[in-house]
Amino acid sequence: MAKKLVSLLVVMAMALCLIPAMAETTATTDYSSWFPGVDTSQHVVLTFLVTGNIPTNKTDDVLKAFNEKLTAAINAEIKIEWIEWTDWQTKYNLALAMQDGTVDLVGTATDWLDAWPNTKNGAFLALSEDMLKTYCPKTYESVSQAHWNLCKYDGQIYLIPEDNYSQWTNHGFLYRGDWAKEAGLTSGVNSWEDLGTYFQYIKDNKPGVIPWDADGSGSSYSDQMFGGWISSKTGGVNIEGFSAPLFFGKSTTDPYTLSTFYTEGDDLLNFAKLMKKWADAGYWREDVLNYTGDQKAELEEGLSGAQQHHTQTWKTERYLMEQKQPGSDLGFFWFGKESNTLVSLNITHGALAIAAQSDAPERALMAYDLIRNDQTFYRLFNYGIEGQQYVIDANGYMARPASYKDDSVDGVSLDYWWGRNDALELRSALVDWTTYDKLMADYNAVKVDYPYGQIVFNIDDISSELDNLSNVFRTYAPVITFGKEADPEAYVAEFRQALKDAGIEKVMANVQAQIDAVYKK
Amino acid sequence: MQLDLQAKRSKVSAPTLVHKEKFWYKISRNRTLLLMCFPAILFFFIFSYMPMPGTYIAFTKFNYNKGIFASPFIGWKNFQFLFSNGQLLLLLRNTVLYNIVFILLGNFLQVVFAILLNEVMSKWFKKTTQSMMFLPYFISDVLVSLLVYNLINYDYGFISDTVRSAGGVMPKYYSMPGAWPFIIVLVNLWKGTGYGTVIYFAAITSIDTSMLEAAKVDGANGFQRIRYILLPCLKPTVVILLLFAVGGIVKGNFGLFYNLVGNNSLLFNTTDIIETYVYRALMNNFNFSQGSAVGLFQSVVGFAIVMVANGVVKRIEPEYSLF
Repeated sequence: MAKKLVSLLVVMAMALCLIPAMAETTATTDYSSWFPGVDTSQHVVLTFLVTGNIPTNKTDDVLKAFNEKLTAAINAEIKIEWIEWTDWQTKYNLALAMQDGTVDLVGTATDWLDAWPNTKNGAFLALSEDMLKTYCPKTYESVSQAHWNLCKYDGQIYLIPEDNYSQWTNHGFLYRGDWAKEAGLTSGVNSWEDLGTYFQYIKDNKPGVIPWDADGSGSSYSDQMFGGWISSKTGGVNIEGFSAPLFFGKSTTDPYTLSTFYTEGDDLLNFAKLMKKWADAGYWREDVLNYTGDQKAELEEGLSGAQQHHTQTWKTERYLMEQKQPGSDLGFFWFGKESNTLVSLNITHGALAIAAQSDAPERALMAYDLIRNDQTFYRLFNYGIEGQQYVIDANGYMARPASYKDDSVDGVSLDYWWGRNDALELRSALVDWTTYDKLMADYNAVKVDYPYGQIVFNIDDISSELDNLSNVFRTYAPVITFGKEADPEAYVAEFRQALKDAGIEKVMANVQAQIDAVYKK
Repeated sequence: MQLDLQAKRSKVSAPTLVHKEKFWYKISRNRTLLLMCFPAILFFFIFSYMPMPGTYIAFTKFNYNKGIFASPFIGWKNFQFLFSNGQLLLLLRNTVLYNIVFILLGNFLQVVFAILLNEVMSKWFKKTTQSMMFLPYFISDVLVSLLVYNLINYDYGFISDTVRSAGGVMPKYYSMPGAWPFIIVLVNLWKGTGYGTVIYFAAITSIDTSMLEAAKVDGANGFQRIRYILLPCLKPTVVILLLFAVGGIVKGNFGLFYNLVGNNSLLFNTTDIIETYVYRALMNNFNFSQGSAVGLFQSVVGFAIVMVANGVVKRIEPEYSLF
């Protein structure tokens, strides 16, 4: 009798144990129908190469929760390998060059990260359509054939584009709307000349404030400021994929003729003269070229009047500034506004690639497909754990729970910029959507698609000229950008001569020929 | 005939045998010494000799996936950009001149400070000074550049503020190419003198004190002792260190120059060295092959200079030459 009782108890205990197991099995089956017939019996750890500083907030906790779910779904987990922001370009390329099979997923981009040069160098795996259909089915379906064509090199797909996510990373100046009004600019800053008026007002009326406390020690301001001037004043369109921003299409209506901004005409000289005027007026530090401050922090502290960055930054910064400098009414003057020149972001501004030496490319694609297309995985990876990192408020916006104080402590930062999906995005309650949507309406009225998506430039014949041109640009551009030359006219002439000596004419002819080969049939 | 051959063979092999025995004998006799050198030998073998075949990368169009030796061979093409930019002379001039100043002035100061330290009697003072001089060697170039910026920047620098409050006019150093050779040399000396002093100081302490005592008894004063005993005894050390340094004369200290000057191209005329130029030209396209080509060029030139310098030393004073 006792024996029977014991065996009965054992059976019951076992049955009880089975219940959660069964529940889990049903959850798993969901995802096995997502990838029919794929064997996931072996557990794999996938390394994801991502740019960003190693987070000290709750990212690890979120990743742990994410990995539990991912293990249940496809028997895999993700480990992040961070490319920290100090010297990120170098570190990123080095990590790809050193491939030893430890990296699987790679966050990449064709404009701000070197996706194409790395593809040419053999860093990425060619993705066959069969592979994508089997291991990345939802993504494969959602990306149009035209978009896949933009991700091909030598006829093979290497990149998965972030093509269903609206964002604007066109550059310009973030400025304080309250000060602009005081300066008499009632409709805000709408041109470079307005910007000058705004800076002068700050210089005259806000003691202790530097109109734009630029940290000119880096070189990126030259790229943005030159590009900004070209699009504002000549309507030129930047052609991506070169190490220095020397190549522009003439305008949005005639994009397939190269702009001659650098070689002839007065636009370059006008830029140099205006920047010299601004430098002499003291709109930035005397030793700006060696200054390494933080323009964003200084703007937030009220010590600087502007920040040179892009729309996406303004979107989140506007709300933040309202907390730190109430009434600041942060505005955005976008480059190209004067000539209505605005180019949509290339769909490979964010993209995903699989490392050529990856041990588990199939599982890597599966994990990506889930992050990109499944609401549970998407929200975990991007927003964190509901109730801890975010809540959904009564209006359906994403808000922070009361316990959430600071991004750097409570937040999650997995820097997933390689396949965001508008269908699964939550609108943040921390954005002034009325103002943002108004800007979007302006953008939508003038925007054009990126005109050069079909070209992957072959630079083999011009590479040593390009290296020398890159050096010439990095030598002269910072000086012109911050007006540090004694005589703009002489300096521009010298700059043009140096470009000529480095072979800009040969390179422009080569680039023009490549554009013609694709677009002028 | 056969006998003859055998005799010949034995004649040939006999000396090698002796030589072999000598070799093993030498090894076993010096085994403790060799054991002590072993880590250094291993270090150079792993980090200097094993990677040598990899310099082949300088002649290839490197493909990550194929590896160094399977990448296509393209000859001298990678060297082209360095020679075709028209700036090589300026870069070489800057690199070499800075190095000459660093080497000559550096070694001179190191010897002077080592002798001065040797003359100091108070042990406590000697130790403290040595540590304080040594310290800057460990400060990273990034921090050094911040220190320099915060001292001399025009708007808010410490020296600028002091000069202004004293009613003076602060020069705009960050727009003055002429000032930077002095600033860079000063910073370099500040960083390196303490370190080098230790080496010469060690050489001085190994000098037989009986010589110095005898000189003292014979009535030689302090200066005479330095002039006729210390300096001649230091000569071999100085020569060897100079020979070592000369090998790197076309290699610049990237960390120092890049951090102090950065992208401030106003100063390039007097501060641009091969390394900073290569960084600027290649940082965006990440071409290992071209980078290696420049490195190889510098090494080959350095090697040639060492050989020549060593030959010259050998002519004048065979004992002091490296080999």
